[in-house]
Amino acid sequence: MANIAAQRIKREFKEVIKSEEVAKCAIKVELVSDSYTELKGEIAGPPDTPYEGGNFVLEIKVPETYPFNPPKVRFLTKIWHPNISSVTGAICLDILKDQWAAAMTLRTVLLSLQALLSAAEPDDPQDAVVAKQYKDAPDMFRLTARHWTAAYAGGPYSNPEFDSKIRRLADMGIESHDARVALSSFNWDLERATEQLFS
Amino acid sequence: MSSDEGDSDMEYSDDDCGYADYYNTVDDCDIDQVDPSKSDPEYFLFECLLVEDVERLLNENVETLSSNLQITPSLAKVLLHTHGWAVQDVISKYQLDASLLLVQSRIKPPHPPSHTTTSSACGSQSSLVSKDGLEDDENQSNCPVCITASNAEVFSGLACGHKFCKDCWSMHFEVQIIQGISTGICCMAQQCDIYAPEDFVLTLLSKPSLRDKYQQFAFHDYVKSHPQLRFCPGPNCPVVIYAKEPKAKRSVCSKCKSSFCFKCGMDYHAPTDCSTIKKWLTKCADDSETANYISAHTKDCPRCHICIEKNGGCNHMQCYSCKHEFCWMCLGDWKAHGSEYYECSRYKENPNIAHESVHAQAREALKKYLHYYERWENHSKSLKLEEQTLQTIKSRINQKVMDASGTWIDWQYLLEAAMLLAKCRYSLQYTYPYAYYMEPSSRKELFEYQQAQLEAEIENLSWKVERAETTDRGDLENQMDIAEKRRTTLLKDFLEV
Repeated sequence: MANIAAQRIKREFKEVIKSEEVAKCAIKVELVSDSYTELKGEIAGPPDTPYEGGNFVLEIKVPETYPFNPPKVRFLTKIWHPNISSVTGAICLDILKDQWAAAMTLRTVLLSLQALLSAAEPDDPQDAVVAKQYKDAPDMFRLTARHWTAAYAGGPYSNPEFDSKIRRLADMGIESHDARVALSSFNWDLERATEQLFS
Repeated sequence: MSSDEGDSDMEYSDDDCGYADYYNTVDDCDIDQVDPSKSDPEYFLFECLLVEDVERLLNENVETLSSNLQITPSLAKVLLHTHGWAVQDVISKYQLDASLLLVQSRIKPPHPPSHTTTSSACGSQSSLVSKDGLEDDENQSNCPVCITASNAEVFSGLACGHKFCKDCWSMHFEVQIIQGISTGICCMAQQCDIYAPEDFVLTLLSKPSLRDKYQQFAFHDYVKSHPQLRFCPGPNCPVVIYAKEPKAKRSVCSKCKSSFCFKCGMDYHAPTDCSTIKKWLTKCADDSETANYISAHTKDCPRCHICIEKNGGCNHMQCYSCKHEFCWMCLGDWKAHGSEYYECSRYKENPNIAHESVHAQAREALKKYLHYYERWENHSKSLKLEEQTLQTIKSRINQKVMDASGTWIDWQYLLEAAMLLAKCRYSLQYTYPYAYYMEPSSRKELFEYQQAQLEAEIENLSWKVERAETTDRGDLENQMDIAEKRRTTLLKDFLEV
């Protein structure tokens, strides 16, 4: 079995590198080890989304039964998205679960993830807090997601108001990531975030 | 008096025998005349089948369909599985629009495949090994899964036209079967949900151990999709129950004696229906902590306030300390339950609730739920306690026989009474979820009236069973008859199947 998996990954590797998306810097894969069981993927945040300008790194683990079972993929770059855990980077996407087909490739997976960034599915959430914000306060969600893109994925849009609130909490001895999570979860309400952090 | 008892009982029992015989024959005549499907609301015809019987039954269906439509048995299985084994329904749909049926059954793609031969477009026969349909001119082609170039003859595919090499198909099936998937195995192409029929899988599957597994899983799926069949829910029990008319009625496994509702496989729940009992049990599981806390195992005697633990099934309580007789459910005087209208099974809704605050409404909702839950839980506990009573009765009978008050045969009526009591109480327990979900209406009033009547008679019976001291069975048998009549009346009026 391992034979097919390695052989497939080698071929796919070449396919992705040759593909036009790589030429446009939209997707990328790299080997982590020589065994072809662990890879590193990268996708660019799609234009006209809060993720625009960001570069998101993915961990890709290839099971022995690949391609008959899907690869295990999670975000290494922290991201604010209803279908991706803001804590672990775990992804809720049908093609990585029961809708996987052996004929799919790493390229289709990366492109599907890019599509997921453009079109979230808040009714099938991975991160309930984010999904609730996405539905109840869409403007707040967009600002928060863009802020996270700037903070973790090298996005260009910084938000001075958010930054100053994080600094306020940092002055109180809170790690800036913990402060960002708390503020994001409470729609950037400094008082409630503080309350939660110190309770 | 006690020395005479033996003799007088003997006389009695002789009389009883003659009387009972006469009575029984009359009864038998009655049964012959009355159709049990009409007179008994719980009447249910079913058979307990073994795996071989079920396989034969399923194969008969498959053969009928495959000979009727001139299709392979394997394809017939897919059609039957996706259509709940309704042979006639499949035939008529096939005759109406064969193509539509095949698309709906995920045998044929909705749009004809672009790269395949036109001859296989019909789809009624999944081309196992199709030598044509590959783009490559030199008989060499790349399998999209392993991306290895191979000769065209090692490629095969389903009606959707997606071709893959044999090794990849085989590996795909292995991985799926190991995950417990059989009839649900699909084509390997992206966004293609065409089913791989049995012959296609078995031809390409290389490992013999997995072939057995596949057939086992498929058999399981077939039984589950067949409305007239149900696996016995007993642990490791291989029996399959077959019912010509599938209904939510009690079926009993002939092998492991499990008793369950045919339709949902849960504990039998008449007069409540399958979806209501599911809702109720989920609710009880969610709210059990609160409810358990509130309905503790002990209560205080309403008169002398001594703490009483209930150790029998009967709800007609007598305080050991002050001899006060009261009802365990409502703690009211038992006198009011005997002669007057028995009402403690009925929940009295607050008529002005709509005008009350949200908090008051929430409190009222909890109160209402607790009312029904307490009664449900109480009867369930009573049932368990009555199992112990049965043991006590058995030892009491032994004791009585040893003391020469009546023979062993004379006392058997008491066991029958205990058995009937359990049956009645079981039905009564399941009336509470039914009542809980009923909208206030005249029908609900009728239901709760009948429920109250049944409850009263059951408590009478329970009281009498626990205290039976003589073989004078007339009174008790009378009570048995009344209780059972109340039970069937309620079921006749409210059991909807």
